[in-house]
Amino acid sequence: MSTRVSLSPAGAIGKIFRSFSEAGRKYGVEWWILIAGIVIILAVAYIAFFPQTLAPYDPLDQNAGPQLGAPSASHPMGTDNLSRDVLSRTLYGSRTILGVAFAAALVSSLIGIPLGLLSGFVGGVLDRVISLIMDSLYSFPGLILAIAFAAMLGPGVVNITLAVAVIYIPTYFRLVRGQTLSVKEEVYVEAARALGARRPAIMWRYIFPNVIASVVVVFSLNIADAIMTEAALSYIGLGLPAGIPDWGMDIAMGKKFLPSGAWWMITFPGLMIVILALGFTMLGEGLAEILNPRLLER
Amino acid sequence: MEHQMKNLLKYFVTRTLLAIPMIFILLSLVFVILRVMPGDPVVSMLGAHAPPEVIEQKRVELGLNKPLIAQYFSYLGQLARFDLGDSMIFHQKVSQPILDKLPATLELTLTGMLFVLAIGVPLGAYAANKRRTGRDFGIRLYGNIVYCIPVFWMGLMLQLIFGIWLGWFPIAGRTGSRIFVSTFEKTGFYIIDTLLAGNIHAFIDVLYHLFLPAITLGIVLSGIFVRLTRANMLDVLRSDYVLAARARGIPEGRVVYRHALKNAFIPILTMMGLQFALLLAGAILTETTFSWPGMGRLLLERIYLRDYPTIQGVIVVFALFVTAVSLIVDLAYAIIDPRVKY
Amino acid sequence: MRRLFTLCLLLVLVAVGAFASGSQQTSGESLVYATTEKITDMDPANAYDFHTWEIYQNVAGGLLKYKPGTTELEPGLAESYTVNDAGDVYTFKLRQGVKFSDGTPFNAQAVKWSIERVMRIAGDPSWLVTDFVDSVEAPDANTVVFKLKGPVGFFPSLVASVPYFPMNPEIYPPDTIVKDPTELKGGAFAGLGAYKITSFKRDEEVILDANPNYYGQAPKIPRIVIRYFADATTMRLALENKEVDLVYKSLNPSDIKDLMANDAYTTFQVPGAQIRYLCFETSEGTFSNNITRQAVAALIGRQEIIDKVFLGLNEPLYSMVPKGMIYHTDDFKEALGDNNVQLADKLLRQAGYSESNPLSFELWYTPSHYGDTEVNMAEVAKAQMERSKLVKVSLKSAEWATYVEKWNTKEMKAFFLGWYPDYIDPDNYTAAFAGTSGSAGMGIFFSNAQWDALFKKEQTSPDPKVREQVFQELQQRWTKQVPTVPIFQGNLFVFTQPGVKGVTIGPTMIFNYNTLYFEK
Repeated sequence: MSTRVSLSPAGAIGKIFRSFSEAGRKYGVEWWILIAGIVIILAVAYIAFFPQTLAPYDPLDQNAGPQLGAPSASHPMGTDNLSRDVLSRTLYGSRTILGVAFAAALVSSLIGIPLGLLSGFVGGVLDRVISLIMDSLYSFPGLILAIAFAAMLGPGVVNITLAVAVIYIPTYFRLVRGQTLSVKEEVYVEAARALGARRPAIMWRYIFPNVIASVVVVFSLNIADAIMTEAALSYIGLGLPAGIPDWGMDIAMGKKFLPSGAWWMITFPGLMIVILALGFTMLGEGLAEILNPRLLER
Repeated sequence: MEHQMKNLLKYFVTRTLLAIPMIFILLSLVFVILRVMPGDPVVSMLGAHAPPEVIEQKRVELGLNKPLIAQYFSYLGQLARFDLGDSMIFHQKVSQPILDKLPATLELTLTGMLFVLAIGVPLGAYAANKRRTGRDFGIRLYGNIVYCIPVFWMGLMLQLIFGIWLGWFPIAGRTGSRIFVSTFEKTGFYIIDTLLAGNIHAFIDVLYHLFLPAITLGIVLSGIFVRLTRANMLDVLRSDYVLAARARGIPEGRVVYRHALKNAFIPILTMMGLQFALLLAGAILTETTFSWPGMGRLLLERIYLRDYPTIQGVIVVFALFVTAVSLIVDLAYAIIDPRVKY
Repeated sequence: MRRLFTLCLLLVLVAVGAFASGSQQTSGESLVYATTEKITDMDPANAYDFHTWEIYQNVAGGLLKYKPGTTELEPGLAESYTVNDAGDVYTFKLRQGVKFSDGTPFNAQAVKWSIERVMRIAGDPSWLVTDFVDSVEAPDANTVVFKLKGPVGFFPSLVASVPYFPMNPEIYPPDTIVKDPTELKGGAFAGLGAYKITSFKRDEEVILDANPNYYGQAPKIPRIVIRYFADATTMRLALENKEVDLVYKSLNPSDIKDLMANDAYTTFQVPGAQIRYLCFETSEGTFSNNITRQAVAALIGRQEIIDKVFLGLNEPLYSMVPKGMIYHTDDFKEALGDNNVQLADKLLRQAGYSESNPLSFELWYTPSHYGDTEVNMAEVAKAQMERSKLVKVSLKSAEWATYVEKWNTKEMKAFFLGWYPDYIDPDNYTAAFAGTSGSAGMGIFFSNAQWDALFKKEQTSPDPKVREQVFQELQQRWTKQVPTVPIFQGNLFVFTQPGVKGVTIGPTMIFNYNTLYFEK
């Protein structure tokens, strides 16, 4: 565990910046992993926000080229069975997956963190009950729950986001609750000794710097996982409605044409999933190593 | 010693009792989800042209017209009697297709686990041994990358390369079409059944079909074990025990791969239990990709048909398995490792 | 150390596996038939899908049957029949000495019981009986008398359809729908067909063996093993790996194209009487105005859909009555055309739409019931419709169970459907969608007294000239009222290993396994 420091939030952020530059000076491997992750994420984020600057065709254009054309000069990733350009579809597909994954992680954290704080702070029966629920969710294969939710809610961007978000709430909950509990011990004792100190304010000052590092790391890894889950849901057919370019769906569509020799429909979207997930994983792991060495070793 | 046994028993009982509310919570959650789903199972059962009176009658028969709470408690009562109920769409008990397909999923999952260990552990041990070298870094990179590969995509790539292009392995099903399953099926675990029936041709065919899906799971989940083994090995390699072994002149290879690995293995076993949940999730995607007739595909099929009881039943069984495995692993850990306090 | 062991194991597996796969050959004793279809209910009172009917056509039979590969009816379980002058009473003389595969004797009582059971249970296909039959009597053990509600010229074709097949009263429950043969008394199905069901593992494997009690000619291949595949790709590969002998329904268009071009396999093209069409909910809301329906119909480009989605393997269809069937016309071609954006815009403006107030609707499809080309067809159709600036389409999908429910509740205003013939007559392709009762059952809710009168006329008239005139008028009116839009007519393909012969599937699309044989 990192050393307990009593700092204001501004001070905490300053400390993080200093860690960064220290690591940079060291030029350790973890630093480069972090940089690589950030580069990948920025690149994909750019693609997601401005695909039109890179995509040679409209991803929905069904007359972009030959039907099931192999990769060529005019279509570097080939064309699909409806004569749409795979490169354009792959580029535009980044929007959906990145958007859903990020939103899901955000929703998860916005629910999980306050719940963890509350549960850890209040303690007692409430804590036991919520913890039990969270533990049940956590230990259960997330994908299966996501499938059940997605099937219930039906196709649609919001629905899929919610389905994916639900399974990550326990992660944030446990993290924050754990920190809250251990800090609560110390603070309680100190507060008992100190005079007139208001517990909530101290709790906030103590918890925030120690938690934020972990939360950022978890958030990043969470997005990586959410990307995989969203892709899986689309692949099974529980994802978005037809029409919106989506990597998982394109892979499911493309697999029908493998025996005919059209390997490009599944290869490129799949590679993109790997790269994007890897980017966030590298970011998370790199951050973890630098901010809290050995946080994830165990 | 007796005191220890009593403590162990207490621990076991406590853990088991704790598991029950967890399953209960999952169950309730799924129950509510399913009832809120659009899509009417009665229409699915009786067909589009059934007159409304017949549909209503069926609904009453199935208890679907009662308030949600009543349905919930009647379901709980059913479960208490170890009865998973009847399928809403087919005239069968929920347990029937589950028992039918469970061996398929288990066979896949367990073989997958074997591959995970067979790939992840040696790589992790090797990386620990060659700490901070290029090879260590490469193996760790492999571990990270592999975890980011979607299971279904890995499956498709393997199908493409080894099934379609090279033609070395079949890419779907548990047996070839000319192997008539009804001639040897007994337990549902085809590896066992074919051997029991003495049908070597079928046995080989089954292994052959098991290979690609199992190794898909194996590769994708090996990443976690690479990291875990490496971390544990690093600890063990620094311990006094290893120091002593080295001092006694035991060759380095044996020190690392036999003595150190054995000690590092216990936390790995624990992790195995925790990762079982991941394996099950991966199995669903693998079953879809390889047309494997297991619980994962059963779940998806019944979701489409809105067969609530079967969907619930499958999830309950999944939950039971996850809980049981983690319970067993915890217990084994508690017995084996004297350091664990219970 | 452990890695080495794994490596060795791998090598052994590959070697052994290569050996194992090489020794798979065609056996004269059994034929492996691969399909991606699913069996629904093993009960003629509720089964209303292509594949389950196919099973029944081989393990059971009707009083009349089609000569394999043709549309000619010949005696089946009945040796002969007579009709009264009014055309509303049919008397059948049954074959004598016939037994079910479990030994139960077959008689007129069994026929009466079965028909009444179908009427009573009122399942999906029961209208094929209840719409026409008033009562059925069995005056003696070998005579069955059908009293109809009115004269029906094509009644013999109806009798050859599955809901009329006699079931074994000893084993079928009188009032409940049977899903699996294991629910039957005795645990197994016993029928009157050329084959009997030896083992039944839903969605995996069904084994049929020749029925020793069959009254007709024994099949040449004593055992048929039906293997159910989850997807077309693996089925294609199974054919290429010689793991299966015959593949029927449904391969991906790309697989069909590849296999057709490959001389190593025999291709059998089934003349198409299956059609695909777009339905509108016509009673209220967006599509209650026939002009709007006409506009959307004009925007569809049939050949473009066929080329893009089906790689050219189907035929454009310009009437609900399929090509090759009597009285077929191409009215839609002249009246509305294909990709006719100009006409569509004109009609839409007439209906009150504009660029700022476009026609906005949900277009529904079902992702797996008709094969997984559905989503592509929907995507192409959407692109075609949006070529008009006055149209905005959003695609929605639902699995079959939900799809059916949604058309009953009128939630779906525009949706795709498919149709296979229940009996070979244009009536089956028209009254079912535009007759008041049929239309309501299909989510179209079209009701027009003049149309109903026309249907009545063609159903009761024996004069082909009268019927021709009625159907011509109906097809003309269809282009104006457009309750549905015909899109294409499908071809089905059977692929076999070279030694398999005797595939006889005619315009009825009935596949009799007992004509199959292996050529050495």
